[in-house]
Amino acid sequence: MVLELQKPRPIWQIMFSTHHTDVGLLYLITSLAFLFLGGTLALAIRAELFLPGSQIIADSMTFNRMFTVHGTTLIFLFILPFASAVGNYLVPIMVRYKDMAYPKLNAIAFWMIPPAGALIWLGFADFTWYATPPYSIISAPGPAADMWIFGLKILGISSVLGAINFIVTILKCKHPDMSIGQVPLLAWSFLTSSLIVLVAIPTFAAALLMLLTDRLGVSGFFNPAMGGDPIAYAHLFWFTFHPEVYVLVIPAIGMMYEIIPRFSRKPIFSHSSGIFAFVLLSMVSFSSWAHHMYATGMSFTEKTVFMIGTLAAVPASAMHVFNFIATMWNGRIKFATPMMWAVGGIALFFSAGAGGVVNAAMPLDFQTHDSYWVVGHFHLFVMGTIAFGSIGFFYYIFPYVTGRMYNERMGQIHFILSFIGTVLVFFTQHVLGLYGMPRRVYDYPPIPEWITMNQIASVGAMVIGVSMVIFLINMIYSSGKGKLADTDDPFNLGGKYYYPFEAKNPHH
Amino acid sequence: MGHHSNWPEWVYVGIVIALMVWVGAEAWNAERLVEHIPADAEVIKVTGQQWFWSFEHEDGTKEIGELHVKVGKAYKFEIMSKDVNHSFNIHDYVVLLDAIPGRVNTVWFAPMEVGEHDIQCREYCGLIHYNMRGKLIVEEAEPSS
Amino acid sequence: MKSILGLFLVLAILVIIPAADYVFAAGDEPEGYIDRRVIIWNLFYRMMTVAFTVGAVVSGTIIWLCWRFRESNPKATPTPYEKEGVW
Repeated sequence: MVLELQKPRPIWQIMFSTHHTDVGLLYLITSLAFLFLGGTLALAIRAELFLPGSQIIADSMTFNRMFTVHGTTLIFLFILPFASAVGNYLVPIMVRYKDMAYPKLNAIAFWMIPPAGALIWLGFADFTWYATPPYSIISAPGPAADMWIFGLKILGISSVLGAINFIVTILKCKHPDMSIGQVPLLAWSFLTSSLIVLVAIPTFAAALLMLLTDRLGVSGFFNPAMGGDPIAYAHLFWFTFHPEVYVLVIPAIGMMYEIIPRFSRKPIFSHSSGIFAFVLLSMVSFSSWAHHMYATGMSFTEKTVFMIGTLAAVPASAMHVFNFIATMWNGRIKFATPMMWAVGGIALFFSAGAGGVVNAAMPLDFQTHDSYWVVGHFHLFVMGTIAFGSIGFFYYIFPYVTGRMYNERMGQIHFILSFIGTVLVFFTQHVLGLYGMPRRVYDYPPIPEWITMNQIASVGAMVIGVSMVIFLINMIYSSGKGKLADTDDPFNLGGKYYYPFEAKNPHH
Repeated sequence: MGHHSNWPEWVYVGIVIALMVWVGAEAWNAERLVEHIPADAEVIKVTGQQWFWSFEHEDGTKEIGELHVKVGKAYKFEIMSKDVNHSFNIHDYVVLLDAIPGRVNTVWFAPMEVGEHDIQCREYCGLIHYNMRGKLIVEEAEPSS
Repeated sequence: MKSILGLFLVLAILVIIPAADYVFAAGDEPEGYIDRRVIIWNLFYRMMTVAFTVGAVVSGTIIWLCWRFRESNPKATPTPYEKEGVW
């Protein structure tokens, strides 16, 4: 399944195609473009926060818009579309079917992404990616806010359509001789995350609509002046977005399930544990949403219930870590670039989770809520786990998709710099939060410890930035002029670079 | 597939669950202690609005941007907002609770040393969120005569 | 095995310290108001101790694994699955 970069096809053929590999490629290019756009905003934010006072951003409103679009872009326009890219490209192959279940719907789901991205970027709203009322109703200027709302509405629909496609393809279109237990773990990760999407997204779709009508003044769901309750939005938002963060992380873990066994030259320690852990995680993800709302004035009992719900998700995640460690044990591991990213990702996944458990303990939220601790914590997940897993997987499928090999040395340098940078930025931010620095601030008082830690974090961000430039150069050069890869075994592992499955009646 | 022994995984999951139970129990206990408001806590009404804090003591005294309290006394903050969500935070005393328009949130503390501490806003509220700050000044209690 | 024992030891100590503290602290504060800072930061330090202990075990294991089972290790042996080339 080698990409046509060796025999270029006209670009409009790919753009109008409904074949899963073409749609996957479109998702891939779009998501990577937004990775760089969102990442540039991050560099600007960190440059501004290097010292107190104004550095490169003239006023706080511009800064507020930048962090809003940064978060919105990287979550909705990089992580989710990248996962869709991988899923579209590989799920039909993994279940031995010719395409996704609904190819045209698939293409439509992709083509919703660019207009939604345009709406978000042209609007450049300032109300954070949560869009919490009452601020988003009474204080956020339109049309930026309304464009953001429409952009997210469209993205939500695209997500749901994609989820339907994955679920039907995996459950109904898999090869008749393949039992559900034999489906590869990467496909299972798409199945479970798509099921979460189906249940969780409609809640936020409703909340967005209510937010819009509130902004127009025709309703008062969340506006206290009209008898509404801002906390209702918080519940609706987090009911969707806590499970949604699992939608973000589960495919990345699935990608690690591809890389780690392959490069350890062993099968996964326990395929059934992996399936069990994915299913358990997706169910338990719905039980913890209001841990994001500990500071809103919930009662002791409410907080306790959600703390228990949060802690209940930890064993399922821990099972994945165990699975990976047990797989590597007694293997013969090749530390090529994809493997480095995957293993680094697990280490950071663990640290992110450990910090999260601390946060889940109710009274500790009084220290950490809306401070840089939270920023450090979730970035260890989205950058340290998800981006690491995604980038590692990108390197892994690069020869599959382009037929060429990337430059290994540059790939390793990319990893080392990114790992060092990630630790520098996000571990430091945990401490910065403990010292009290709030998040979403354009400027801060010249407290010496805050200044030092902000500077360390900014240096770390620049290190990541440099590594991403190396990545860009490697990608672009190697796709056109890289060494031709042996598509049976591009990494020289000794095994095959495919999904072993013996059909009893191979009619494919 | 995996015809190997399963017991390491079960032990590991058991340890993780035990750890989580411990975390939950400790947190529950600490929260229980921290949330118990003393009966003699003096009420201070805290109002957040874009972009400053104002305070009203029990005896009617009003303050803007600065809050004077006495050492060794318990105070109960009743936190409100006039416009958007804010969050009242005295980081040095680990006091943090959201100011939500339409409701009153309550948190208490008892300062034990004389000193000055920062008050900040911990919920994004727009243009000057980053500078919605104040000062808590803990003073000596008047000698009882 | 030793790491599990070590972990349980740390845990036991962490449970005993606050319990002992609570008992010995009775009658320490003249006014009787609890200091929320002390309770919260104390909980935090105990959690951090456990988190870093577990973290040391997990990351130590991962680092050791990567070192011992890297293919360039002179002690490295092929896995049983390499014979057929399918895994």
